[in-house]
Amino acid sequence: MTGASITLKVNGADRPVAAVAPWTTLLTVLRDELGLTGAKRGCNQGVCGACTVTIDGEPVRSCLSLALNCTDCEIATVEGLAPAGSLAPVQQALAEGNALQCGFCTPGILIAAHALLRRNEPLSVDEVRAGLSGNLCRCSGYKKIVEAVVRASEARP
Amino acid sequence: MEFIRPDSIDAAVAALQAENAACLAGGATLVAMMNADLVAPERLVSLRDVAALRTAMRQPDGSVVIGAMRRHRETAEETDLRDGQRVLSDAAGQIANPPVRNMGTIGGSCAFADPAADYPPALAAADARIALVGAEGRRTLPADAFFVDWYETALEPGELIESVILPPAPAGTAGSYTKLARVAGDFAIASVALVLGMEGDACSHLAVAVGACGPAPVRRRDVETELLGGGLGDSEIRRLTDALADGLDPVDDVRASADYRRRVAPRLVRQAIAEAKQCLSGTQ
Repeated sequence: MTGASITLKVNGADRPVAAVAPWTTLLTVLRDELGLTGAKRGCNQGVCGACTVTIDGEPVRSCLSLALNCTDCEIATVEGLAPAGSLAPVQQALAEGNALQCGFCTPGILIAAHALLRRNEPLSVDEVRAGLSGNLCRCSGYKKIVEAVVRASEARP
Repeated sequence: MEFIRPDSIDAAVAALQAENAACLAGGATLVAMMNADLVAPERLVSLRDVAALRTAMRQPDGSVVIGAMRRHRETAEETDLRDGQRVLSDAAGQIANPPVRNMGTIGGSCAFADPAADYPPALAAADARIALVGAEGRRTLPADAFFVDWYETALEPGELIESVILPPAPAGTAGSYTKLARVAGDFAIASVALVLGMEGDACSHLAVAVGACGPAPVRRRDVETELLGGGLGDSEIRRLTDALADGLDPVDDVRASADYRRRVAPRLVRQAIAEAKQCLSGTQ
């Protein structure tokens, strides 16, 4: 099987990828070809949310997105949230709130939370819970995650 | 496996005329099944670039044509859906979670026809029609005729869903979707899609579809018609829920037992009607 050579736009940069088979997911390309291992392969069924990235600004499941369908899109991963060595406000908020344990779900949560915070208004607990309802965390119990995102929304100018 | 990205409906239909070809809409179901090695189409026809499938249009007569590639998030926010048509947007907003609503499409969901999905009962209650296009031309089917059996639709090989058409709902009717699920965003244990109109104390429009309790949504149009013009009190609602119960054919699965579904479905119907009556009396 010879795959297609494509170029994906990831975190603002054009990234050529060779020999992409039709069934190859965006998640596989990000992790195995581009070395962007922030997005995690949890369930590979679109349920757990650990693979969440944004396509054209909207959070989606990279495990359910075929790479060949993602050319001409702007893809953003957790690695693109802030320049290397610095943290985006939502990352800072989760770190300060101790809002993680093992960290496996954290990249997906950061992407989903970052999209919520674009609304640029204080968010209620219910709004954050609804916004993060597609991201499973098996160790934290969610409370600190939700609190951290609410605090991040209140801290915005 | 071949991957094709046509940019028109005609080209997509042409590409589908092959053995074991499948449409790729939002990917929320098909790619999950591919990842699990449950399906392996020989040709994937991505509908992503078919702009004609991405629009929703309100027609002069008040009907709304929703392209098959409209995402759940777009349908949840669709301002062209009015009065009882809101049953569909209410259902769309309760599908899964925000990232999946950014991906999944109404055409993809209808084609997969999971009986516990949220669109089938909403489309049944809205008297929607499904517009199909294939090599032989176009046809439209009522939702009742489209959803045939467990995960089975009237789609023929080589055919794709072009749009979903909602007829105008009578002015002043309310549409709602009530879903019982284990956690937010899960598939339904049971669900009720309702379009209700009241003129004073008299019922002027009634459509009730029960989801997740059989191979396809269950409606009893005969009883709905009998109840028009009268008050919708406890005994009338009981007549409807008894009739609906006869049509239910639920199964035991990981979410709930068949027996539990039979018990909870009539209660959901009562709850949905009570809430809709409350909502309507608040707006009159």
